[in-house]
Amino acid sequence: MSASYTPVVQALIEEFGRLPGIGPKSAQRIVFYLLKLPVDDAKRLAKAIVDAKERVQFCDRCFNIADGPLCPVCRDDRRDPTVVCVVEEPRDIVSVERTGEFHGRYHVLMGALNPLDGIGPEHLKVRELVTRIGSDDIEEVILCTNPNTEGEVTALYLARLLKPLGVRVTRLASGLPVGGDLEYADELTLGRALEGRRVVET
Amino acid sequence: MSRLYRDTGVVLRTYKLGEADRIVVLLTAENGKVRAVAKGVRKTNSKFGARLEPMSHVKVLLYRGRELDIVSQAESVESLAPMLASLDRASRGIATLEAVDMIAIERQPNRRLYEMLVGALRTIAAHPSPVVVPAFFWKLLAAEGFRPVTDRCVRCGEAGPLVAFDVGEGGTLCRACRQGTPISAPALALLNDILGGRLNEALAADESSATHEVASLATHAIEHHVERRLRAVAMFEGA
Ligand SMILES: [Zn+2]
Ligand SMILES: [Zn+2]
Repeated sequence: MSASYTPVVQALIEEFGRLPGIGPKSAQRIVFYLLKLPVDDAKRLAKAIVDAKERVQFCDRCFNIADGPLCPVCRDDRRDPTVVCVVEEPRDIVSVERTGEFHGRYHVLMGALNPLDGIGPEHLKVRELVTRIGSDDIEEVILCTNPNTEGEVTALYLARLLKPLGVRVTRLASGLPVGGDLEYADELTLGRALEGRRVVET
Repeated sequence: MSRLYRDTGVVLRTYKLGEADRIVVLLTAENGKVRAVAKGVRKTNSKFGARLEPMSHVKVLLYRGRELDIVSQAESVESLAPMLASLDRASRGIATLEAVDMIAIERQPNRRLYEMLVGALRTIAAHPSPVVVPAFFWKLLAAEGFRPVTDRCVRCGEAGPLVAFDVGEGGTLCRACRQGTPISAPALALLNDILGGRLNEALAADESSATHEVASLATHAIEHHVERRLRAVAMFEGA
């Protein structure tokens, strides 16, 4: 990268370069786009980021993104409290909601087990899930982790942990392309996988 | 000089790269450990599908890059499904990957290591015995030139009884010289089965305090050898 950028511009490029999926070239492109924006547009963007950081929090119950103590799904009385869909990230809730096939609640793990990176159960919202099963009226847990090695290992681990608690533990039907991330699954395939879920053997 | 090359390998681990790509670390038959980018692999319509997940055994067409190679094609050699059929299989498979990743050297061909890994994964898929991973670790160490003394005291030569094992000393110790970890007679017998090539007898052993002793000794020995802690092996203990 050229050294001729002023320190202010260089600092901004570095900030964008830290974001997921943005390399130095993209960071540079975004920054030059922003520099051409009218001042009001730039201020609106900056304010939106600050507002989101100040007001958005994680749901106390399920760790979905929320604008209060509980997320919209947990606040909605029409949702079935007896079925909980376990996902890796809040964005996976969006994918499952898009199918229109699921009417229960969620639990976000905030990641997946990755033994090779040292990410164990204690790094995820696993203890919180066990506590929920102990206190809420949960009858079925659907494991909607990604259909890849990390997601499968997470699902196998949770199945072994949760079954003795007396809940039905199910996993998405195969048919989801293995190796992909849930967020890229189309709603028809994901909907079918939800419908055809099966009890996990341990 | 052609920059495209073919090889067969096992995926040791993957790292997310950007929005939808992954860096895939392979232990190949001909080229040793190779790092390559798989573009678009996290999209569900990816041409690679599940073929580039950890534990996958694949035939690959790679494009040689300056730092990272690029995966051009990947074709499954055997199904990953059996490895993901139970937590024992998956966690034991991953434990073998971690040890191999630490021992394998980039671009240094080591066909024997590749064959050992494929053999271990096949054994785990067929019969996920608690002894497979420790047996694999001891075999890895033997291939690296570390073969512990287990038929006499490594320090004074006394034939027995042997009551301890010390990784630094490289073997078993008698009562007078003992240091390191205490070892029980059944665990020592199991260790001798593994080291003496009676692997089928060893693999038939049910989970017991002896299999646990041999397993923790094996982990300790590998960690001593690579001078790093293994993370995967302990994660699901007691789960
Ligand atoms: Zn919630
Ligand atoms: Zn001695």
